[in-house]
Amino acid sequence: MTRDPDSRSGAFAATLLSPIGMLYGMFLVAPISFFLLVSFFRYSPQQLYLPTLTLDNYTRLLFDPYYRGIIATTFRIAAVVTLATLGLGYALAYFLSRVGHAWRGILMFLVVAPLMTGVIVRTYGWIVLLGSDGLVNRALVALGFVRTPVQLLNTEPTVIVALVHIMLPYMVFPIFSALVAQDPHLVPAASTLGARPGRAFLEVTLPLSRPGIVMGSALVFTLTAGAIVTPALLGGRDVIMMGQTIYQLVLSTFNWPLGAAVAALLVLCQLLVIGVYFRKTRRVH
Amino acid sequence: MSIDDRAASILPIEAPPQELVRQPAFDVSPLTRFGFGLLVALLYAFLLMPLLIVIVASFSPDTSNTYALSRASLRWYREFAGSDSFVSAFKFSVWLAAIAAAISTVVGFLSAYAIVRFLRKRRDVGQALAMLPMMVPHLLISLSLLLMLTRVPMPEIATLIIGHVLICMPFTIAGIIASLEGVDPELEAAAYTLGAPRWRVLFEITVPLVAPGVLSALIFAFIVSFGDVYIALFLSGPGMTTLPIEIFSYIQWESSPVVAAITTVQIVLIIVFGLMVERLVGLRAAMRL
Repeated sequence: MTRDPDSRSGAFAATLLSPIGMLYGMFLVAPISFFLLVSFFRYSPQQLYLPTLTLDNYTRLLFDPYYRGIIATTFRIAAVVTLATLGLGYALAYFLSRVGHAWRGILMFLVVAPLMTGVIVRTYGWIVLLGSDGLVNRALVALGFVRTPVQLLNTEPTVIVALVHIMLPYMVFPIFSALVAQDPHLVPAASTLGARPGRAFLEVTLPLSRPGIVMGSALVFTLTAGAIVTPALLGGRDVIMMGQTIYQLVLSTFNWPLGAAVAALLVLCQLLVIGVYFRKTRRVH
Repeated sequence: MSIDDRAASILPIEAPPQELVRQPAFDVSPLTRFGFGLLVALLYAFLLMPLLIVIVASFSPDTSNTYALSRASLRWYREFAGSDSFVSAFKFSVWLAAIAAAISTVVGFLSAYAIVRFLRKRRDVGQALAMLPMMVPHLLISLSLLLMLTRVPMPEIATLIIGHVLICMPFTIAGIIASLEGVDPELEAAAYTLGAPRWRVLFEITVPLVAPGVLSALIFAFIVSFGDVYIALFLSGPGMTTLPIEIFSYIQWESSPVVAAITTVQIVLIIVFGLMVERLVGLRAAMRL
């Protein structure tokens, strides 16, 4: 069998995989490992860091009230945004899974389009909407709710609303995938057996869409916790999240070890949340 | 002759299921139905409002973000075209996105092919590893590349390109894997039996069959790179500022409808690209969500 496609396939596969292996190894795994190592180094104003191991950066983060406040804000915002997008995204995904084929393409595209324009474009849209001469303030004044424009920018609710807007598509698609993967005969079967619509939804459709819920929530939580641009532009100095702190520590004060420690803590918490989430769902199944 | 027809003329293959099943609706009261419809309409308004408002504001005749369409002007588009910093950032973004998309599509294709055809039992592991840049926050990728730059002598532009290639990889790999799954391995096996070497089979049989998927991965990677903020935030420097970063630093200090004009151009560009992907393979397949 000289022409067996399986012979020497290992070498061929290795050749195909070598570019990605080199790319990820040299520019993803190695730099990130070193970066995380730097979080255990000592800060030095002259040399970026001194390679002596210490836990000082972490103890400072966990005990300094300033950093504790930032960590609390970050995870509070991430949790609220995840819950809000879950509720709204489920409704949208449910709608998309029930809509006819003629409309589905365009309706899906309208959900993806904002995602593809990038974070800056959408954040800028919110600045225009919520600024002191923005549409929302004009409407409030015209309707007589307020006399003078209210301060909407630089508040935490605004940051949350904008982040919900930015994250919504990430929640919709995993849930949609889980919904359309269900056997379309299940719901009619449940109602034949006497289940009312609400009960059929809660006991059949909702539990079966759990993988999508888990996937979407993990994605949204991670992305929100690492946000920089949206809180920086819409929250100003009043809403500071861990992402902005890392940016400032690294690019303004050049305190790489502390910046790396904030980043490491952020990633650790994200992994923890994702881990707990996945474990919980596995137990249910 | 479409690619599917050509494939069918070589060997009768079963077409992959294209249409998704429409789920049955619940039998609920008209009031509930109306309430749900209203909620969905409001959600769409919420999703699209910030984009529509930017488009409207870009035609504003004065510096306030006015919405009087009756006095629409192209003043801010002229301002954009006349602004050196924005135009060069726009050109740089296109250049960077084209390079990053090309590299990540080539590497992504090779990886996706190996994952689908050769990994077998370890396929899940391979696929998960390929998605690594999506699981790590982009912030961490760009910071660690920046730190690497302080230790390893390499050009700054190279790190920026590598950063963008990294964040595009999960999208190109996932999209191309989806396309490869629609190709019957028997077609390749047939070519082997007829004596073609592996690389020839790859380029003469497989690549033409998945060409729409590869092209859509290329466009998708372009979109991902073009819209990126996190990589460029730390890795762009003088003379290599991307458009989103130029806008970011501009609106931190001032707000003028010129930004609305630029973002409108960007929205139109991305929507055109998005529709191209939709035509080619369907957006959902491209995003693998």
